[in-house]
Parts: sequence; C-alpha cells; structure tokens
Amino acid sequence: MKSGYYFWSGDIAAAEGAIAAGCRFYAGYPITPSSEIAERMALRLPQIGGKFIQMEDEIGSIAAIIGASWTGERAMTATSGPGISLMNENIGLAIMMEAPIVVVNAMRGDPSTGLPTLIGQGDLMQARYGSHGSYEIIVLYPNSIQETFDLMMDAFNMAEKYRVPVMYLIDALLAHMFERVYVPPEEEIERKIIRRKVPNKVPSRPFEPDDDLVPPMPLIGQGHKIHATGLTHDERGYPNLTPKAQEKLVRRLNEKIIKHEREIWKVEEYKTEDADKIIVSFGGESRAVRNAVNSARKNGKKVGMLRLITLWPFPHEFIKKYTADFYVAELNYGQMYHKVREYADGNNVKLIAKMGGEIHTPNEILKEIGGV
Amino acid sequence: MSLMEDLRYGVEDLLRTERLPHVWCPGCGIGITLNAFLRAVLRRKIDPNKLVVVSGIGCTGRAAGYVNVDSFHTTHGRAIPFAIGIKFARPELTVVVFSGDGDLFAIGGNHFVNAARRNHSILVIAVNNFTYGMTGGQHGPTTPTGAYTTTTPYGNPDRPFNIPHLAISLGAPYVARWTTYHVNQLQNSIYKALGMKGFRLIEVISQCPTVYGRRNSMRTPLSMMEYFEKNSIVKNDASFEEMELKYNEKIVVGEFRVAKDIPTYEERYDEVIRRAKNAD
Amino acid sequence: MSDKKLKKKGNVKIDIERCKGCWYCVNYCPTKVLMVSDELNSKGYHPPKFIENPEENKVCIACHLCELYCPDFAIFVEELK
Ligand code: SF4
Ligand code: SF4
Ligand code: SF4
Repeated sequence: MKSGYYFWSGDIAAAEGAIAAGCRFYAGYPITPSSEIAERMALRLPQIGGKFIQMEDEIGSIAAIIGASWTGERAMTATSGPGISLMNENIGLAIMMEAPIVVVNAMRGDPSTGLPTLIGQGDLMQARYGSHGSYEIIVLYPNSIQETFDLMMDAFNMAEKYRVPVMYLIDALLAHMFERVYVPPEEEIERKIIRRKVPNKVPSRPFEPDDDLVPPMPLIGQGHKIHATGLTHDERGYPNLTPKAQEKLVRRLNEKIIKHEREIWKVEEYKTEDADKIIVSFGGESRAVRNAVNSARKNGKKVGMLRLITLWPFPHEFIKKYTADFYVAELNYGQMYHKVREYADGNNVKLIAKMGGEIHTPNEILKEIGGV
Repeated sequence: MSLMEDLRYGVEDLLRTERLPHVWCPGCGIGITLNAFLRAVLRRKIDPNKLVVVSGIGCTGRAAGYVNVDSFHTTHGRAIPFAIGIKFARPELTVVVFSGDGDLFAIGGNHFVNAARRNHSILVIAVNNFTYGMTGGQHGPTTPTGAYTTTTPYGNPDRPFNIPHLAISLGAPYVARWTTYHVNQLQNSIYKALGMKGFRLIEVISQCPTVYGRRNSMRTPLSMMEYFEKNSIVKNDASFEEMELKYNEKIVVGEFRVAKDIPTYEERYDEVIRRAKNAD
Repeated sequence: MSDKKLKKKGNVKIDIERCKGCWYCVNYCPTKVLMVSDELNSKGYHPPKFIENPEENKVCIACHLCELYCPDFAIFVEELK
C-alpha cells in the first residue's frame, strides 16, 4: 500500500497490516465480524503474487496455513469465536510442530452463536487455553484502527521469531469501525520485518533449539527431509513416546515463550504513575475506560488505566509494580479479572463486567469505581 | 544393477531406515502400499527434495514418519487441507497425502469432498482396511454392512462409502482402486497418477489382520490376502453398483477414471493473479 | 510347473530383524525357494529362509515378487550377472 492516510475499518486494517508485515498466504472461512478480512485478502493478495483461498471450514483453514508456513510463507487466517473453537485442534498442532502462524479472532457476543455483529470479550481464556494441553501462546489485542494495522507487524514478527501461533484479537467494535490510518513508507515498514531463523545447513537435529530455546526452522523443498509431527518427538523430529521426551519437549515449548515474555509484553500505562485506582482494560472496551479516566482526572481523581496489548503471556509485572485498587473492565463474566487477582498482592481487585453486545459507558465505569 | 535392484536400493534411500522395523503389525498391508508408492516415485524420477508426504492420524498416518522426504504427520482428518496449504504455496512441489480410510473419509470427509471438488493437484493414497486399526478395531466409514468390529458386535448396521464413486462424482481426474494383492497394478497406477495433475485418488484395499481380520474369520495375514486374491475382479468401466463393497463379496478393482487436462485449482488461481495484476 | 529346467537368476538376502513373519514371501514365491525358518528373530518372529533345490526346479528366478509383497522391507533380491 502506498504511504499515506486511509480511512479503514479494523478488518481492512488487519488485512493491510498483515500484508505490510509480509503475509502472502491466507486461508479462511467467512464468519461475522471477520469476513471483511477475507474479502480484503481475496482482493489484495493476488495483486502482489500472494495466495488467498477460501476453505470448506475453519479446521481446513488453519491446517492449510500451517502447511503453508512450513514452506516459508508468513501465513494467516481470520475468524470469530465459533471458528476459533474449531481451530483449536490445530492450534495445538502449530504449537507442537512450532509452526509460525497468525490467527485473528474478531470477538463477538458469546457463547455459541451469540451476537454475531456485536462486541464481546469472552474468548480471552479460550485464546490462552483453548487447545488441549499445557502450552504457552502469544495473544495481542489492539484498541484502535491504527494500532490494528501497526501491531500486525509485531504479531508476525513474534510468530516467526518464537515459532509459535500468535492469536490476534480484535472485536466486533474494532472490526467494523472506521478510523484514519497512516501507512508509513514501504522501506520503513520493510525494515521492521523480522524473518524467521532458518538453518544454514541441513541439521542432523532439526528440533534442537538455539540458546533462545527456538530451533531454526527448515523449509520444505530444500532437501532437509523434515519430519514434523503432533506426537511428542525428539530433536530429530521423530516420535518419542516417553515421559522423558515429553518432559524435555513440553517444558521447552513453554519456556521459550516465558523466557522472552518481557520482549513480548506490550502494555499502555495511561496516567497510572500516581494513580490510586487503576482500571485494567483492553481492546474496544478500553476506549470507554480512557474516557472514564479522563473525566475522573478532570475532577481531580487519581485514576489510571493499564491497557493490556499483550494479553498472553500475562504481563504480570505491570500488575505487581503498582499499589492501587485494581478494577478490571471486561465484556464477560470475569476472565482477566482472575489473572489480575493472582498478581495483585494484597491490593483490592474488582470486576467491572458486562456480558457484551456493547462496551460500558464511561459513566457506568465511573460509577463502579466509586463515582466521580 | 538391474532396474529392479536399483528400485530396491532406491527404496532404502527413500525410507528413514533408522526407524525400521516400523510400527505396523505382521502382514499389515500399509507396508506393501508404501513399498509400491516409493517404487513408483523412483520410476517417475521425482526429485526427493521436491516431494512432500502428508499423513493424518491412525495406523496409515504413521507412513509419513518412515519416508525420507519432507513429511508431515498432522492431526486426525486434516492431512488434505495441510497438504493443500503446501501445494498452493509451492505448486512446483509434488504433494502426496498418504492416509487411512477413517482419517480421510469420516473425520476428514469434508476436506476430501471439497479438495476433490476444487481439483487441487495432489495425489491421495487412501489405504482402506475397513476399520480403525490404531484404536483397536472399531467400525468406520468404510466397514462393510454386516462386518464385525469392536463397536459392531452384532454386525455392522452402517453402510460404507463407495469411495471411487464419491471421487468420480466430485470430478477427480484420476480414480483407481486396487488391493494389496495387486502389487504390480498398484505400483503402475501410482506411477501413472504421479505423472498426472489434479486431484488423484487411489483407494488401496488393505488387510488389517490384527483387528479386522481377526473378527471376520481372516485371522492370518495370508487369509486376508487370499480373500483379495480370490475375490477381486478387474473392471475399469465398473458401474456404481459394481464399485460398492459388500461384506465378504467381490472386490471390483481397476482404473475407474482417467481424465486429462482438467484445470487444477492452482492453475485457475494463476489466472486470478494475472487478472488481479492487470486490474491495477 | 513344467519339466523344463528353470535357470537360477537370483539370490535372496533377508534382513531378519525387519521381518515380522507374515510369510507372504513364502506363499507368493513361484518357485517355492523361501521357507519358514525354525529360528526366531529378536522380536520373536520366524523369518523365512532361502533354500534352493535345483533338482526339483526350486531356484530363484529373480521375479522380485517377494520384495513387492514384503510389508516390512526385509527382502533384497540380487540378480546374478
Ligand atoms: S492394527 Fe491393523 S491396520 Fe493397524 S498396523 Fe495392525 S494390521 Fe495394520
Ligand atoms: S525373487 Fe521370485 S523366485 Fe526369487 S525368492 Fe523372490 S519370489 Fe522367489
Ligand atoms: S514377506 Fe517380509 S515380513 Fe513377511 S515373512 Fe517374508 S520377509 Fe518376513
């Protein structure tokens, strides 16, 4: 995309952000409110020699992008909560095979078919724990259309750097809302792209990690004779169904993320330095919270917002460092609330919940934190 | 060395021999099918570095673990979409799905149907042993009506897929069925299919003496092989009814469809790219 | 089998440890030069053994059928030059 200003929805920004970040392969299945991402990719990818395919379902979509990822493509799919429920099977495969992929979830009202066109934030635990097994995953969540564009670069870079699926959350509010987006010049964007590590010769143990706990990734078609499996495997990639191999592999899959959590964490600390009340929020909902914080500040109240951009791995140090009353404003019956409690260390934590369909009004939030 | 000797040693190179003996039971037909496949690859002179084998889950799913080429052992039923991702991203590669009947037609049925319809250029070798072997011999989407399995103790009330007919109805350009008794025909069929494009399906009726044969009075590997030997009829123009598999009855084998020059998905997408670039 | 003397054309090597004793090779060898051995391999299977008897026309004709039927990649047929 030419550098300049555009008026885009979150869905379009997500697609354009992905393309800017080097994504050239997309497989997906239509679902509200993410379908416009697929439509944008169908239009744009072939223009630049990329590949778009509409698959028979979400299960096939994620399988296809994992296959494409092994050829070296930066590959993405997009869906909403019901689609993530289906994709979770192969999220586990991507974890186990260490295939970099980006999966967008435009969250809608939930559970089940819920509120297809309206915002929800019920998939935060699903994003983290949705597939079976003990694993770490990266989950990012922007809150503006500009950020939806920009943060895609981090999503792809992190996926490639750590060889892990990155779940990119947006929500129905962001997906369909239009805002002005600045697209920087191509060279500037290009400079930000981090390519995955590839082995410089055919390795005898392709799943042997470097010091960063991430093994360089051999690509299909280059004589590596890769073998990758969802079974527990040794560093050769071969199935090894023993407790010892399990301990070694699964521990590393978790630790390769935990080891780098400080690089992965992105948190906006908004007026929190002196705050005695901190509202934790993210995504579409945080727009109302910012408003509430601003009103409270106008009235001399020391209120701030911690906006989690990285939801997982949970940026716990940003909770631990404050002494304040915490409020967690989220569109569900309490998810990240429990995580904040885990690290609040004696500070009060209160949930400001709404079941979705709309974000809180600033006044609702102000009321919950004790009025202005 | 003679051609046959060459092939024999070539097969060794295409196997991860350090992993042999493989996991399959004595007399399991999957090994015979794999052998035929590797020989066909050698005869076709496919660069092993440009060959990708993708399997799903189950006994046949383990095949990917033994071939010494880029190989992927994916999740249950998902070998085809995984393979499509590879093929679509890198059309110059030869992509083969080697998997079992339960994997491809029950849990993976939706992917099979749609991939065949779109005519992705992949070869699917479907080993049909009438059962779920790895999990202990439950009935599957290909178990003949009346057959005994661990989940059909009174005989199977279910009706099996007519796999070649299904593939033909979806427009697959190459559709064949053999049994593991037909070692030469099977190899030639794979050889031929490897030289074609589009969605190619070869169903291989294979013996699972351990959990299927045992419950259906074919306890030994040889007795299952004898059943194939005595009951197979080659008929390339078989009708729908003839292609149906009935419990302990005739097995009609052959090349049921050979159609050239049907554009593949990947070719049609090249046209999409051409149009998109011109539209700017 | 006809009275015509068969010409020996091959030798068979068996990788005993790969064999699982299905005996397809024994069954499908047209000249019956493969027999079930009394010996057991380390996995407990009886591999075949290669025993020719030119008097009875039992020689390996290097048809390679045993190789094609072996599910375990355990047989190598070497052709005589
Ligand atoms: S259970 Fe049946 S299909 Fe599976 S390896 Fe054994 S014989 Fe083969
Ligand atoms: S090559 Fe033919 S004749 Fe020789 S042992 Fe094998 S099956 Fe028998
Ligand atoms: S066919 Fe192979 S596995 Fe079976 S008995 Fe002969 S050598 Fe052994």
